[in-house]
Amino acid sequence: MIVQIIKDIVSLSVISGILAVLMVLAQKWLSNYGDCKIDINGKRELTVKGGNNLLSSLGDKQVFLPSACGGRGSCGACKCKVISGGGPLLPTEKPLLSAAELKEGDIRLACQVKVKSDIHIEIPASIFNIRRYNATIAEIIDYTYDIKGVLFKFEPGDKIDFLAGQYVQLETQPYAKVKQKVVRAYSISSKPEMNDALQLIIRLVPEGICTTWVHQYLKVGDKVSMTGPYGEFYIRDTEADIIFVAGGSGKAPIKSMLEHLAVVGCNRKMTYFFGARTVKDLYLTEEMQSFEQVFPDFSYVPVLSSPEAGSWNGKTGFVMPYFKEVVRDAKQTEAYLCGSPGMINAVTKALIELGVPKDKIYYDSFG
Amino acid sequence: MKETPKERRVRSRMQPGVITLNGFLGKDKRTLNEIIETDERELQSLNRTAEDLVQRMQGFTDASFESFTNSVLLEDIYEVETEVVRGKLPCPFAHSGLVRKTITTLTNRKKNLTVRWTALNIHLIKEHHFFEGKGSTFRLDPTSLVAALFD
Repeated sequence: MIVQIIKDIVSLSVISGILAVLMVLAQKWLSNYGDCKIDINGKRELTVKGGNNLLSSLGDKQVFLPSACGGRGSCGACKCKVISGGGPLLPTEKPLLSAAELKEGDIRLACQVKVKSDIHIEIPASIFNIRRYNATIAEIIDYTYDIKGVLFKFEPGDKIDFLAGQYVQLETQPYAKVKQKVVRAYSISSKPEMNDALQLIIRLVPEGICTTWVHQYLKVGDKVSMTGPYGEFYIRDTEADIIFVAGGSGKAPIKSMLEHLAVVGCNRKMTYFFGARTVKDLYLTEEMQSFEQVFPDFSYVPVLSSPEAGSWNGKTGFVMPYFKEVVRDAKQTEAYLCGSPGMINAVTKALIELGVPKDKIYYDSFG
Repeated sequence: MKETPKERRVRSRMQPGVITLNGFLGKDKRTLNEIIETDERELQSLNRTAEDLVQRMQGFTDASFESFTNSVLLEDIYEVETEVVRGKLPCPFAHSGLVRKTITTLTNRKKNLTVRWTALNIHLIKEHHFFEGKGSTFRLDPTSLVAALFD
């Protein structure tokens, strides 16, 4: 009886062992897709090792699609057109695609598409300008109690080509309890003409992994990586009057735009409303006011919603009631907004009521 | 009760430094199920449901959303402000999509109580009846929350 049991155990062990070996071999054979070709826009071909997702395969070849979640399939930022070779749409993609995109049929999340064969995709040509940059922290400035300006100097000879208003994605390093890298988007606050370095304005976010790293761990001399530039928020080359509106760290892209316009010259009528809560939330005020001497028709208007008694002689409340004082011809006015979605909604509504065309209101909404 | 592999995966996403700096569990050593069931029982004893709370919290958040740098006074009792910061967060239970980073602060002037919650708190309570572990930064104690939200 005991001998029989031992025999059975041995037989089962041998069978299990054989099955395990077969599974390992099958895994090796079945998941070996060899080299695959990625055809981009019918103009560029990349050869990659099959088996990885499209987002990381492209990234390995220095083609960077935007991604806010690091390829976890939760942000939907890495959408691209997959013409062929992408396999069926996955259940993980559907919730992040709009009805129109689902109807179109070939919009996919690059992080969810596995490259198993040759694949043909279409992405905006501007994506090719996105690169990875290695930089050293050259300067950290405390603008307010919770906002810092950080200057990143690229490696010698490296330069970035961006439009004022665009953003980069900064990669954190593991620190303290944070064991993995995260990637976060920040608007560039320096002018494009300074292309061997760039500045970001970063506000400390409660529980924020990246902002805590920047505010409490980063120091001058540290090495960091980022990718960019990304985004469609940039100054349109027209003669229209401009209203800028920003709040908090939303000042970053507007600062970049103004510094750029100061270099190239600009005669347009421009008014910049900066909304903040109290005097201690104001920063770079003198720098912004100095543009009044640079441009022929520019004014900087800080507006405080809750100034402490006796601390403020300027404008108070919301920024919207002051728009009518500066709008000359609403149809010939553009607006550039950067801040919280609540601010963007309220400002957009007020501008449309004044007659500013909706398609001339450009914004970078936090998030 | 022993944790399932799925619960273990969720728990790992709730650790400090994965989605948020300090995570969702604080110093709580209980299983997710225990945390959720305990809070559900507490809510039941208060004659409230998670849906009641979510409706109220979402209503206050929405009402204060567009006053971006100011607080609003609602129902003559509730002083509410919602701050939106850059970025979005995923749900640790792996729901698809991202939740905007907002912090709503509500002061019940009548009872002199203040509570604060995030958009992710609303999602976690609505979809998972999860109020976070004890000691976590955005833990919402059901009794305190009910006291502040209802007259």
